[in-house]
Amino acid sequence: MKRLILRRREEAVRGGQPLAFFAGLVFALIMGAVLLTISGDPVFDTYQRMWDRSFGTADTLSATFNRAVPLALAGLAVSIAATMGLWNIGAEGQIMFGATAATLVGRVGADWPSPILIVAMLIGAALGGALWALGPGLAKAEIGVSEIITTLMLNEVAVRLIVYLQTGPWKDPDGFGFPQITAKPEGSQLGIIWERSHLGVLVALAVIAGFAWFVNRSVWGYELRIAGASAKTAAFAGISMRKKVLGVLVLSGAVAGFAGGIELTGTAARLNENISNGFGFAGIIVAALALMRPSGVALVAVFFGAVQVGGQSIQTLGVSPAVAGILQALILFGAIGAAVLSTYQLAFIERKVVTT
Amino acid sequence: MTHPAVELDGIWKRFPGVIANAGAGLTVRPGTVHAVLGENGAGKTTLMNCLAGVYRPDEGHVRIDGQEMRFSAPADALAAGIGMVHQEFRLVPTFTVAENVVLGAAPRVLDRAEIERQVGELAVRFGFDAEPDRPVWQLSMGERQRVEILKALWRNARVLILDEPTAVLTPQEAVELGEVLRRMVADGRSVIFISHKLDEVVSFCDEATVLRGGETVAASIPVADVDAAELARLMVGDVAVEPVPVAVAMPGDAALTVDNLSVRDARGLLAVDGVSLEVRSGEIVGIAGVAGNGQRALTDAIAGLERVESGTVTVMRTDVTNAPPQRRFSAGLAYVPEDRLGVGLAPKLPVTENAVMREYRTLRRGPLLNWSTAREFCDRIVEQFDVKVGKREAPLAGLSGGNLQRLLLGRELSGMPDIVVASQPTRGLDVAGVRAIQRLIVQQRDEGTGVLMVSEDLDELLSLADRILVMNAGRFVGEFNAREATRTQIGEAMMGTAAEAQS
Repeated sequence: MKRLILRRREEAVRGGQPLAFFAGLVFALIMGAVLLTISGDPVFDTYQRMWDRSFGTADTLSATFNRAVPLALAGLAVSIAATMGLWNIGAEGQIMFGATAATLVGRVGADWPSPILIVAMLIGAALGGALWALGPGLAKAEIGVSEIITTLMLNEVAVRLIVYLQTGPWKDPDGFGFPQITAKPEGSQLGIIWERSHLGVLVALAVIAGFAWFVNRSVWGYELRIAGASAKTAAFAGISMRKKVLGVLVLSGAVAGFAGGIELTGTAARLNENISNGFGFAGIIVAALALMRPSGVALVAVFFGAVQVGGQSIQTLGVSPAVAGILQALILFGAIGAAVLSTYQLAFIERKVVTT
Repeated sequence: MTHPAVELDGIWKRFPGVIANAGAGLTVRPGTVHAVLGENGAGKTTLMNCLAGVYRPDEGHVRIDGQEMRFSAPADALAAGIGMVHQEFRLVPTFTVAENVVLGAAPRVLDRAEIERQVGELAVRFGFDAEPDRPVWQLSMGERQRVEILKALWRNARVLILDEPTAVLTPQEAVELGEVLRRMVADGRSVIFISHKLDEVVSFCDEATVLRGGETVAASIPVADVDAAELARLMVGDVAVEPVPVAVAMPGDAALTVDNLSVRDARGLLAVDGVSLEVRSGEIVGIAGVAGNGQRALTDAIAGLERVESGTVTVMRTDVTNAPPQRRFSAGLAYVPEDRLGVGLAPKLPVTENAVMREYRTLRRGPLLNWSTAREFCDRIVEQFDVKVGKREAPLAGLSGGNLQRLLLGRELSGMPDIVVASQPTRGLDVAGVRAIQRLIVQQRDEGTGVLMVSEDLDELLSLADRILVMNAGRFVGEFNAREATRTQIGEAMMGTAAEAQS
């Protein structure tokens, strides 16, 4: 009896990642064509629309860039934690609390000069995200509580907090009784740099590049690589795993919180519980696709953002939301699955039937 | 003529930096318990993993009942009748005994009572008093091991490999295991018994194959014809490779003093039990002992990687008992740990980053690291210690074992230490690598550095060390002048047989 197994390649294929990525993409588009045919939707028109609405024009491309910003920052946050083998599943909540902290700053400094207000709000957002990750970081570093559970649970707490604020203390007095938080102050809107892209696109790029540079060159980054390699090697070099675990989770939270700040000042009109819109969870996929390398998250986030934007746009063609969702999933799975195949290979093995 | 149950022939298996098997062979007759003996690192487990389908050998033949086999996965080996009980058990704690036994090999319809009955029958047939309905988490280590054995028997294993099975057993459980093994061979099956405990081999096994340095040094010798001392001699070897010339030691003042040191292991047991020793400048003190008698805990505690329960560690008159590793390094203590790749080095990081692991704090420039100085530092080590590296930026893992060790030792020696603690510094290296490392160690001693060296290679200790301490069960059970001691004396002390006489 022949059997198909997945076996680790002795050596990774050279340049296999990008190659596999595109191969997986083509495969996914073919599978998607089958799906669209079955659901009775026009294949060519649907793909045409997806392309037009994500990359096709300056207008849509600039919107895709905006969408990529929170995805990239959330992906960076997840990949920072991953350098120490930690899973930050709480980027979603950190984005929300970051945006909440930025809103607080905005309420206090509503009449400050615009640049000062924006910078203060973004700093507040980063501090807020860091604070949201501080608890899980301490629990992990001091007594080994799984950060996966704690960061995940805090997501829900952040949602409740915002709902409380919008029905209670921060309820908009001009909202005609509608439970919404007062709109952000006028001076807090990030400037537009190109078509619909706001300044946050450049800021996010700078944060990602700056982080990559700092990790490569700094003593902190060097210690992080040693600590990520093995706890025993870190002990040998005299590096405290406790401090590194705490530092990395707090930094990861700060980056996610910063994403919340950018989202609030760049795209959103006001804080609400949908401010994160799943970016925190999508960030996990972005980081995984970027192979947990901070340097890769920007490119992957643009791709991911395009799939999201394009996927939503085809619903106006009459493609059902379910089919659009499956199509997005196919494309992402195709790309990730193919990336796996550059380190694994399929092999046939001979297998005897066990008789007992 | 009946074929051997298992025949391994000319097996080679190389790992990055280490050759685990260098043409090893093994022949097991059906219906026998066959011991595979060897020191830690002799290649026993690797050879067995090649037989059980965990690894694919680089070269060599695997024949089962005379038939050539190529296993891609453990499932293939199992299908061919090879079952292995690993040192770490692979059981689901919340499942019952019966559920664990049939997991992955259950009949199509899962009738719990019927399966429990069948597993119970199987257990009784081989002399276990198993309770198939008990959850595994309630069982002792010995009972869990029996579940693992039942798993293999359920899958109709004709050959059962047990990897150091008695390590987790109480003496009484070990005796019971012996009886189970007897029943299995009476049933026509074969057992491969991996161990480095000689008394068990003599009492349980019919034949023995001895591995040393990845090669078979004695194949299928009938255990009845040899005694434990002979097996020990085969295990540790008796012909030293041309010894590195060693001059007479000129010991000076104490470089390292360990006083009444106790260390607990992860289970809370005393791994090191009130040990005292002194290493003076310009002498090599060797620590001999069977693996797992506290050597690693002792050196780790001296280097600051293991918490000290009680006692003191002093390096050149500085008390470093509670100091972090980097403070000990600046006090003059260099450490070459036993697990080079897992403790002393970070294999995925570049050569440069590994080279500066001890010195990087002095290479700070604000929050940044001065990489050009780091590269110069790395180049000096590479040049001075003749490390063959490709690119400094390439991951370390590409280096051969000898070069890895040269880099590690070079880095440790770069701080001009007063005392070098080296654990198994030559294990797994090829002959040239062994000699290079041994020369460096002797050279250090001749320059007035104190050396504390742990080795399972008695010849190495006898040829390099000035004094040899023998460790057994966390204590020193003998001290020998390396110029006068014989292998037999030290070997007996290692086995613990001479413990009473010495103390």
